[in-house]
Amino acid sequence: MIEFSHLTYSYPGTEATILQDLSLDVVEGEFLLVMGPSGAGKSTLLRCLNGLVPHFYGGTLSGTIRVDGRDPVALGPRGMADIVGFVLQDPEAQFVVDRVEDELAFALENQGLSPIVMRKRVEEALDQINIAHLRHRSVSTLSGGERQRVAIAAVMTLQPRVLVLDEPTSQLDPQAAEEVLDTLVKLNQDLGLTIILSEHRLERVVQYVDRILYLSGNGQPPILDEPRKVLDRVELTPPLITLAKALGWSPIPLTIKEGRRFARKASHRQPPARRTADRAPASPGANPNPPLSISVKELGFSYNGHPALSDLSLDVRQGEFVALMGRNGAGKTTLLKQLVGLLRPDQGQVQIMAPASGMAMDTRQASVEEIIKYVGYVPQNPNALLFNDTVSQELDFTQRGHGLPPGNHNALLDTLGLSEHANHYPRDLSVGERQRVALASILVAEPQVLLLDEPTRGLDYQQKDALVAFLQHERARGRTIIMATHDVELVANCADRVILLGDGQVIVDGPARQVMSESLVFASQINKLFRNPALLTVEDALDLYASGEPAHA
Amino acid sequence: MLHTWAWVAWLIAAAVSAFTIRNPLYLILLLGVAWILYTTLGRTTPMGSSWGSFVKLGAFLFALAIPFNALSIHIGQIVLFRIPENWPIVGGSITLEAIIAGAVSGLALLAILVVFAAFNAVVDHYQLLRATPSFLFQAGVVISIAITFVPQMVLSAREIRQAQRIRGHRFRGLRDLLPLVLPLLANSLERSIQLAETMEARGFGSAVSLPSRRRALLSQLGLLAALVGVLVGLSLLAFYQQGRFWAWLLVAIGVIGLLALFASSGRQVRRTRYRRPAWHARDTAIVLTSAISLAIVITTRLAAPMTLVYSPYPPNPLLPSFQPLVGVALLLLIAPAIVAPGLDRPARDTEQVA
Repeated sequence: MIEFSHLTYSYPGTEATILQDLSLDVVEGEFLLVMGPSGAGKSTLLRCLNGLVPHFYGGTLSGTIRVDGRDPVALGPRGMADIVGFVLQDPEAQFVVDRVEDELAFALENQGLSPIVMRKRVEEALDQINIAHLRHRSVSTLSGGERQRVAIAAVMTLQPRVLVLDEPTSQLDPQAAEEVLDTLVKLNQDLGLTIILSEHRLERVVQYVDRILYLSGNGQPPILDEPRKVLDRVELTPPLITLAKALGWSPIPLTIKEGRRFARKASHRQPPARRTADRAPASPGANPNPPLSISVKELGFSYNGHPALSDLSLDVRQGEFVALMGRNGAGKTTLLKQLVGLLRPDQGQVQIMAPASGMAMDTRQASVEEIIKYVGYVPQNPNALLFNDTVSQELDFTQRGHGLPPGNHNALLDTLGLSEHANHYPRDLSVGERQRVALASILVAEPQVLLLDEPTRGLDYQQKDALVAFLQHERARGRTIIMATHDVELVANCADRVILLGDGQVIVDGPARQVMSESLVFASQINKLFRNPALLTVEDALDLYASGEPAHA
Repeated sequence: MLHTWAWVAWLIAAAVSAFTIRNPLYLILLLGVAWILYTTLGRTTPMGSSWGSFVKLGAFLFALAIPFNALSIHIGQIVLFRIPENWPIVGGSITLEAIIAGAVSGLALLAILVVFAAFNAVVDHYQLLRATPSFLFQAGVVISIAITFVPQMVLSAREIRQAQRIRGHRFRGLRDLLPLVLPLLANSLERSIQLAETMEARGFGSAVSLPSRRRALLSQLGLLAALVGVLVGLSLLAFYQQGRFWAWLLVAIGVIGLLALFASSGRQVRRTRYRRPAWHARDTAIVLTSAISLAIVITTRLAAPMTLVYSPYPPNPLLPSFQPLVGVALLLLIAPAIVAPGLDRPARDTEQVA
């Protein structure tokens, strides 16, 4: 179906090749997962399949590509449109027409098909993707997952032989991502459609894919093999597989169900005592009852009459690491914006304690300029704040805004692993790096409280680990951190308190370990694997095995 | 549901009336017609909610026109009170006639807005967009993208403003626009490139067969010649009294030439339409009634211009006149409300994402 032979490609203006002598074969009906660190050439490879590389991007390409017998390098994307369907990561940027049904017909109209054929194809695509109920809706009223499914349906109308998706779920929350991936699995299994997917959320797809192509990005040759063999050899893996590899479980379990076989033997054991206690306060010897940092009392707020928060009360103490969880629209972002004074309470009050004076500021009276001396907020989308020519200018801008003297940023950039990018254009960096630049440009003002909104969206496992390490470091320095997230593994790794929001109210508020182990939706992989409230992370499980007899069984 | 072109015909007839008529009796009739159309057909449509803002704007203009006219025009016999003569512009007598004349111009503005508000509420915007002729199809696509793009840009702008505010950005001068404009620009550009990529990947543009160089040159020359013909014809008509027949002929040839060129370039677009809405007898009825209404208004305007215009200033009588024929012409515009009710539009956007 797809043949690459000795493909080498470099983008215009660079000497370095992003794909080097790549040869591969994909058979019809195969589900291939492309993985690898950012910048390894995943997107480039996918764009070779329909001729966007080199037709849209330029650059030099050698070697040959055949997709269903056609040559995308010769035909270009227009000539490949009817056999390769292509879906991008940002669901917002792919729509031409505002109405779902017309969007589905758009590509067909361009192919000059007769109205009768079009009607049939549109109906079929609506049913295949199971979105017939959305047909008259306007794209702007859809949720992220629905949009991405409409985008898939819009390319399915052309009845492609191959469906190519470039990180289709990286902008989505876990629920929406699941919808999209389930759709793909169904298309592959029911229609035998060849699917090539690049994706970070391995835990959702590895059990369905036939093979994995791993691009290392550091000059090592790519690995193309069946999932277990590839996962055994690479470092970017979900917690279940990381644990399985560390403990030498074989064959590597791809699902919790498979993992239970190995874990059942250990689950009756009592974990070491220090793990059952909750995480210790930030620094040993610190005040066991630290002063309040933020206090919210009976907060109520509505957007144009739609209630977003109601009767919400909570206290956050200095040095706490709080995770705000809950489904989309539960009020997480609204609450964060209340804490930094971008939104003001309709009822109740939000108080920020100013450590300098020991006074409490009421956000209804204090100006944003006063509040941001103590509270920093990193929005979901780093692109919303990056505009300067270099990373260090971004930091200077924040310092000027706060009326601080220009300082030396090396230490901060160093801890965030950004020192080599200090003079780079921030928007040219990878998603993970951009996220860190946004973080740095808020932290440079040294706020006492740090608010993060979905900090791991679009990050791979390595970038997530780096972020976890950094946040733990900041917390150890006594910074209060409040983060809104859907990422269960992230919370399992670093938060010490979880607040579950639902419908603008606090549903549960308690220690991370307790809240997460009592929940089905918010349980981490390791937690599900052992069904043991004391175990949340890979380290927890490894400790358990280290404390008892060797775990090979 | 009525055909889009039937609605366009209605809009032309109604808008021409709204623009030419300056008689309060006719204007009130026209307002009533538009209001009935809205209540019978436009109330439940997706754009129906915009009616209120159009009417509010119209009412505001109406309220503004009265004092504006009363204070700036000082003609009339029924003097209500006087403002000292030495005040610039507003000084002089304030007359009832001037107030009435102001109200009539306000009413005319209101009528224009309400006609468009009714059209806006009843017409299906996507069908309207899709009705763009083939030679303009690229322009149609651009507008459709803009409609999809703008709400996202507004959201993006708000996000950026908040993000920069948290970094201590304050708006003091023009220079402070940069932190707001640059990310917006960069975001929009990145998004446009992605959109271009998906459109390319979905075969956009494969429907246009590029003409040969010679053909392209010929059609450009043809376009130039036709435009020159129209322009010369029109200027002959405007500045010379003789040879009107030849001037009209020139204009006609130019227009026909333009239409032929458009049709031929439209044929090069091998693009089909997903849905061609069916044309029913009721659509023909709407076009006919609109055409009759338009013909009556235009002939009245040409034959007896003063019938449509009312002026309260002396020596005219204070009460406006009323010609039954013009009244009939305006009443004809109510036809869609008679033939179309009960035709269901597809339910749409009933669910909203929170």
